[in-house]
Amino acid sequence: MRCDAARAAISLRLDGELPDGADVHAVDEHADACAECAGFERHAERVRAALRFEAVGVVPDLAPAVLADLEPRESAGGPAAGDGGHPPPSTARPRRPLVVAAALAAIAGMAAGAAFVGLGPEPRSPAAADLPDRVLAAQAGIESLDARFQLVEDDVTGDRWERRLEGRLVYEAPESLALTLSGQRSTEADLRLVVDGERWWQSTVRACSPVPDWTGCPDEARRWVRSVRGREPFSESSPVPLELINPVDGFTPAASKLAGLGTRTIAGRRAVGVALTAAQMGPFLDALSTGAHLRGVHPGDPVELWLDDEHLVPLEVTVRAASDPDRVRWASSQGSTDRAGDTILRFTVTSVTINEPIADEAFATPPRIPPDEALDAGFRPGADPAGPVPFDLPRGFRPYRSGTISGTGGPTIAVDSWTDGRAWLAVRSTREWAGGRLFGGLGTSVRTVDLGDAGVAYVSDDGRKVALHADGLDVVVSGSVAPDELRAAAATLGVTGLRVPPSWDESATATLAEAADAVPRLLVAPELDGFGPPAVRIADGTVIQAYAGAGDRGFTLVQSRVGALTPPANGDVVGIGVRGTAGRYSAERGQLEWVEAGTTHGLSSHTLTLAELLALAQSLGPA
Amino acid sequence: MEEPEPALVRAAAAGELAAFERLVRAYQEPVWRFLRRLLGDAGVAEDVAQETFLRVFRRLPTFTFEARFSTWVFQIARNAGVDELRARNRRSRLASLAPPPASAPGMPEARAEIDAALASLPVDLREAILLIEVLGLRYHEVARVLGVPEGTVKSRVFSARTRLHRWSTADEERASREV
Repeated sequence: MRCDAARAAISLRLDGELPDGADVHAVDEHADACAECAGFERHAERVRAALRFEAVGVVPDLAPAVLADLEPRESAGGPAAGDGGHPPPSTARPRRPLVVAAALAAIAGMAAGAAFVGLGPEPRSPAAADLPDRVLAAQAGIESLDARFQLVEDDVTGDRWERRLEGRLVYEAPESLALTLSGQRSTEADLRLVVDGERWWQSTVRACSPVPDWTGCPDEARRWVRSVRGREPFSESSPVPLELINPVDGFTPAASKLAGLGTRTIAGRRAVGVALTAAQMGPFLDALSTGAHLRGVHPGDPVELWLDDEHLVPLEVTVRAASDPDRVRWASSQGSTDRAGDTILRFTVTSVTINEPIADEAFATPPRIPPDEALDAGFRPGADPAGPVPFDLPRGFRPYRSGTISGTGGPTIAVDSWTDGRAWLAVRSTREWAGGRLFGGLGTSVRTVDLGDAGVAYVSDDGRKVALHADGLDVVVSGSVAPDELRAAAATLGVTGLRVPPSWDESATATLAEAADAVPRLLVAPELDGFGPPAVRIADGTVIQAYAGAGDRGFTLVQSRVGALTPPANGDVVGIGVRGTAGRYSAERGQLEWVEAGTTHGLSSHTLTLAELLALAQSLGPA
Repeated sequence: MEEPEPALVRAAAAGELAAFERLVRAYQEPVWRFLRRLLGDAGVAEDVAQETFLRVFRRLPTFTFEARFSTWVFQIARNAGVDELRARNRRSRLASLAPPPASAPGMPEARAEIDAALASLPVDLREAILLIEVLGLRYHEVARVLGVPEGTVKSRVFSARTRLHRWSTADEERASREV
């Protein structure tokens, strides 16, 4: 072997890019005999050590300055940043104090056994048990909606102010929507979002502060307008907040142990109520928060949701501050003084019509406002169909937009979509996928599913996307329908799914049986109401199980044979009892860690409270 | 690095600043470290990293979830860094008397040496090796960030390593001659 060939192989090996079947032995043999090539390898390793593993203590915190350029600026009358020039240098806002010691002390004294929604006995109000199915089914019956609503936010900072917004939501199936929000103190809208098929247009006020003594807002220059054309059907990146029409994501996967609140009348309509957590209502709150920059809520905050009894449209949503000690810590980290039980956010529909005709101009964009940012997302309508078509579509589904995405720097993608009312299903495919991981943005954790004749498919941990990697073709099926309907569509595309190549991320995907072999005495969660089965992967002897629940709820369980905890990476770690042993908890990472029978366990979540994590840890059992 | 939750990216794309702040905090360290090495100056890297995140925010509505989110962010960072280098070239043509960049006082020897070695590389080799070494990207991801074929990445990384090695041995030879 010559020196240049040996060094090229050394370079590839260092990057983990040496092809399978390469003659590693010959490379080592050469390097053993050739001092220059051995020196090349040592030097390359030194460069790596210097560049990758340097101390990171000196990294500046950019977030305050970046946000100050996008966010409310206290001083009125400064030069506008939307003129194409650089925004003026802005002073970084002071960071809020992080954790208060008194709150930590309260956490350390906390015991397991607090309620985990999804564990434990059936609530005594079975009236709500069928709500998830009803929400999913109701999508098909919605053609249009016109609602006026009020949004009231309580203060975060202890100044006892309230922010009141008036809003209007106009919708026409499947994805035309106009959302307007205006604040009490302004004559103009705080937010206007218009989505109409391939157009997406959003105007937000960028220099309005919700504090009460703020003045002079808004003027033309402080509005931030983004305009997107070439938007693909049901785009994830220029989203249409369909969750406001029916909260489908909040009820997928379906939970049945829901606490019903009975019925009452809201805006002249019969409403049915259910008690949830803010984490489960996360997708709805995100949709509502679009451009309105709502205050933060804690994932464990209790939510009362009232849905229209006939069409399952949200009519009232009330978020209150939860009472557990973890929430006190969280609130203080946000600079908030919420007291347990306070109503912190309330969305109330004041009038609504459903399935009445909508005037065309409802989805027109204001012609006189030039966009600050005009973007082309690259979708062009085209031949129908553009890619593979599922034989098995949900009943009543009709073809909607078809076309291709190109010119975005990524692969050329064919998109076809079908709808029925607000419900939708889309198939995206490409013949140009570069690989490395699955096409379609499924996230790190996936499950494999046997589709019979259609081969093997990969399903995202929440069940909302199904991907097929075939010979020369990569496909992903997504939609607002039930996970089994997505799988049925994926199984009838006429595409045979293969396992991903070993170099792709998803090749680490495993079954629970394989995981139990990799880590002895593996623990798994019991069957949890409102959660799907775990997505499991094995990497370097570590088993990672990801459990996705309704809405934004979810957690990961990481277990390895290493019998001791590594030194804590964060300064906020406190000791805590877990499953009868001494463990520790980091609030910043939402992570509970302990060692049990020679195995290290880490249970983490950003959407479950510490009380829920402790109850969950207690419920874990052998695989 | 771990990918952010798609829901978080979607919320940020919809203009939700709290969500965007979480993304900035998740990516500011790698982005700044990459830019510092690319540009050879911590202060300039900070400015360009800020510009990177403003561009990220503006372009979020066109992020298609095809690329890894991190690859997409690094692509924007790399483009912002290259824009800065171009502007610097223009500036240096205008004011060719500007002093050469000096290492910061008190900088450990090894770090100053590696910065000097990196500065000796042409930009196309420097950015390729930095995407690999600072950010830990795979070749196919580097190919995507740079918009070149994977084979080109492979050869650029190898050339960069060869030149860095040659630079260090030349340095040692110089040192041994001086003794």
